[in-house]
Amino acid sequence: MISELWSDIRYRVRALLRRNAVESELDEELRFHIERETGKHEAAGVPRDEAVRLARVAFGGVERAKDESRDARGTQLLESAMQDLRYSIRTLRAKPGFTLGVVLTLGLGIGANAAMFGIVDRLLFRPPPFLRDAGRVHRLYFAWTDHGTTRLERGTSFARFVDLQAGTSAFDTIAAFQVRRVAIGTGDRSREVDVDVTSAGLFRLFDAPPVLGRYFTDDDDRAPEGAQVAVLSYPFWQAEYGGRADVLGERLQVGNMTATVIGIMPEGFAGLDPRFMPAVHVPLTAYSFSQRGAAYTSMYHWSWIELVARRKADVPADRATADLSAAFERIWAADTDNVGPRASAIARPHALLGPVQLERGPQASRETQVVNWVGGVSLIVLLMACANVTNLLLSSAVRRRREVALRLALGVSRGRLIRQLLTDTLVLAILGGAAGLAIAQWGGVVLRQLLLRDDPGAVITDGRTLLWAALAIAATALVTGLIPVWQAAATDVAPVLGNAREGHAPPSKLRGFLLVFQATLSVVLLVGAGLFVRSLQHVHAMRLGYDVDRVVFVEARQRGLKLTRDEQLALDRRMLDEAVSIPSVTHGSPAASIPFWSNEGRLLRVSGVDDTERLGRFLLQAGSADYFATVGTRIIRGRGIVAADRAGTQRIAVVSEGMAWALWPGRDPIGECFRIGPGDAPCTIVVGVAEEMRIRSLTGDREYTYYIPITQYGEPVLSLFLRVAGDPADAVDGVRRRLQPLMPGGWYVTAQPLRGLIDPMFKSWEFGATMFLAFGGLALALAAIGLYSVIAYNVAQRRQEIGVRIALGATQADIARLVVGGGMRLVIVGILSGGAIAVWAGGAIEPLLFRQSATDPFVLGSVGVLLLGVALCATALPALSAARVDPQLALRAE
Amino acid sequence: MSDVRVNLPQGTLDLLILRALALQPMHGWSISERIHEVSHATLQIPQGSLYPALHRLERRGWIKAEWGTSDNNRKAKYYNLTRAGRKQLEAGASAWGKLSRAVALVLDMS
Repeated sequence: MISELWSDIRYRVRALLRRNAVESELDEELRFHIERETGKHEAAGVPRDEAVRLARVAFGGVERAKDESRDARGTQLLESAMQDLRYSIRTLRAKPGFTLGVVLTLGLGIGANAAMFGIVDRLLFRPPPFLRDAGRVHRLYFAWTDHGTTRLERGTSFARFVDLQAGTSAFDTIAAFQVRRVAIGTGDRSREVDVDVTSAGLFRLFDAPPVLGRYFTDDDDRAPEGAQVAVLSYPFWQAEYGGRADVLGERLQVGNMTATVIGIMPEGFAGLDPRFMPAVHVPLTAYSFSQRGAAYTSMYHWSWIELVARRKADVPADRATADLSAAFERIWAADTDNVGPRASAIARPHALLGPVQLERGPQASRETQVVNWVGGVSLIVLLMACANVTNLLLSSAVRRRREVALRLALGVSRGRLIRQLLTDTLVLAILGGAAGLAIAQWGGVVLRQLLLRDDPGAVITDGRTLLWAALAIAATALVTGLIPVWQAAATDVAPVLGNAREGHAPPSKLRGFLLVFQATLSVVLLVGAGLFVRSLQHVHAMRLGYDVDRVVFVEARQRGLKLTRDEQLALDRRMLDEAVSIPSVTHGSPAASIPFWSNEGRLLRVSGVDDTERLGRFLLQAGSADYFATVGTRIIRGRGIVAADRAGTQRIAVVSEGMAWALWPGRDPIGECFRIGPGDAPCTIVVGVAEEMRIRSLTGDREYTYYIPITQYGEPVLSLFLRVAGDPADAVDGVRRRLQPLMPGGWYVTAQPLRGLIDPMFKSWEFGATMFLAFGGLALALAAIGLYSVIAYNVAQRRQEIGVRIALGATQADIARLVVGGGMRLVIVGILSGGAIAVWAGGAIEPLLFRQSATDPFVLGSVGVLLLGVALCATALPALSAARVDPQLALRAE
Repeated sequence: MSDVRVNLPQGTLDLLILRALALQPMHGWSISERIHEVSHATLQIPQGSLYPALHRLERRGWIKAEWGTSDNNRKAKYYNLTRAGRKQLEAGASAWGKLSRAVALVLDMS
């Protein structure tokens, strides 16, 4: 049985691969037979001619015998498929322009899809590499009610992490992790990298044995001190140590720790967040100890780690959630900080289990939401590409009607014909897919660098992306082939062959519909592009309350050597003095809050207001007398900070407009008193009103700022704002070089343009605007090409009719109007339906825009005008050629 | 010589070919001649249908083809019975024997 099967396979493979040899052998064999038969009759005395005839009769149909022999080989179906393939390739090679156009069109559509799929998959669907039992691994979120609004946090403290581990039973592992920018190395080689601070349990969630050495264990990660050990990522090991095996045991400075290298992660391990590719992993306890000393174990407020947990296999998700919630509530109630409005009866603390993919959980970023939209848009682009290709195929199908009819008349089955047509589109789709993967490879790297910080990797070697591309190719072949196939199947032989002229192809209603469809989608995409571009404009034009493009942010980072508070205050002063002596620096001031970096809020008390937190979030900024001149924040009323405001003098503050309105509505705030901090804090007198400063969020409402003198603030800040003449990017190196010599021990200085902190906030709108513009432009180009080809084709079809009209006295203008009008009618229908869809879908996209209505008449109007203009251009060329029809020639061609 | 010509029941052509090849390797034409002669010209196979059958048998691995030189010094394709083919012939022949005896018994019933 087995041997029979084996012989069968061998035989078929040979028949298939050596098809020509097998065919000529068959010829030879049959010829030999007939010769022998002829010879037999000749030997019996029959004349040659008669002998040949007798042999032929005895044999029967030679072609039939051949056909049946081929069938007996069992490769007929495959062979006809290959024949179709060869035929397709020959036809396509005969029309290189058509083929190139189709392949590029499909390539752009499939490429856009593959590139976007790579990102959406990475953010939303693919579990982190090496993760075991991803379905049971959850990120933990904690929620409570604060002044009537629900707060949801995933950050928590070490103390709470320990309590949760002890207080739950539904999980076999709860692990803590956080990626931090930490300086590593010493001297010249020191620089900041992403360091993954994790509890030892994290490694148990993965199925990723170290390529070298070992991971840290619970023994290394024992509170409070932990062991100063480090596990290196594979790329870091390769880049820094050249992949040396004897790296184990070496010392590496990681922040304040001098860590011993104990192991190497496997290649491709990226932890839990696809946006980071940490270079080094260190134990949570050792890192915490190096930052805060042994006290960190009871600091419930030092909330900086995130938690991930794996459910026990027999515990369903809802029971695990209940277990975790109960533990969280017990901790909350036991925490003596949580009194009054934070008491658990009011705050109702509870916990949530989210998917391990952060962006699928309740705290998905705005970027991810935009990515999802753009992913949908890439599908629309593919759809448009398909519509265009269908259109092109239809016009070539009309030209091939006679061929199709002829083949049908010759007895080719319709099934065979349909297979042939689908082979055509499949070949085109595969070529397009190949082009698309090349485009995705290039575009994917660009996109991922824009959005993810991990190793960009290769699109064309990623199995899931390839699978997606293959699906897209198959769907494309089907979708583009469907209509031409349906038309071919409906071909009626007699009328086509009977009529010498091909001018009687049915009017292309279908193609008109495809055009309307394309125009509709173009409008939708372009409206999206317009909305994002406008959002980006709004964001850029928005005044943040300081001059983003003139300021350098300087920070002294502590490492190793500990300084007392007074020493740090002295360092603050020395840094400022040195910095303002640099010629390009015009002003300088310390700063306690840095926009989108760090900020400070303190409890405020104002007489007549029992709970200021209910009114909003009040953020503290502290600076010198030069602060307002340095950052460019405008004083609106009263005065700013002056040199005379010192530690011992009356406490003063400048408040923002919004704060003045929130705390003292309708009153003049100047001269009012408020108290900063709890207990018997002294009165701080308002001396001026300044602009609002955006510190925490661009969109955030009810966030207000007040400004106090750094001398009265009294704490070291180790941060400076410097106003420079010229481009801040050019100034940062000089500033760093001048300030570094002031640093004690292992301390170091960072300097960066303030713009660098702000720009990441714009990312979602930048990405949205870029991608919608790119895809919208692509869609517009596709629609224009589609329109042009259909109109040009129609003009060619109607040459005689146009000739008659001209002969009957139509002017060139009449003809041009006729042609343009036909195209424009379709486009106008498309604009109207696209506009309707855009308005209808607008509500869904509005939250992602920035102070921009989704139904902005300006955007809708511009897109309409743009599309009309492009359509006019696309129809003008065929219209001109129609107007130039020579009636005599056209009629004679009949 | 009889004028009565019998058409082959379905599936018996394979058996006849295998039987013919059991004696010695042969090319297509001599297989058809052999069957014709041995059956005293009773069995008339359309010569054209021989070749699809040969290809089918070859695919199943019951016979093997080799190019050789014929008695009149021409290149010809010779077919050989394989071991699997010999087994198949035995099984087929015994099944045929049973069938024909049974059919004869039924027909002789009177």
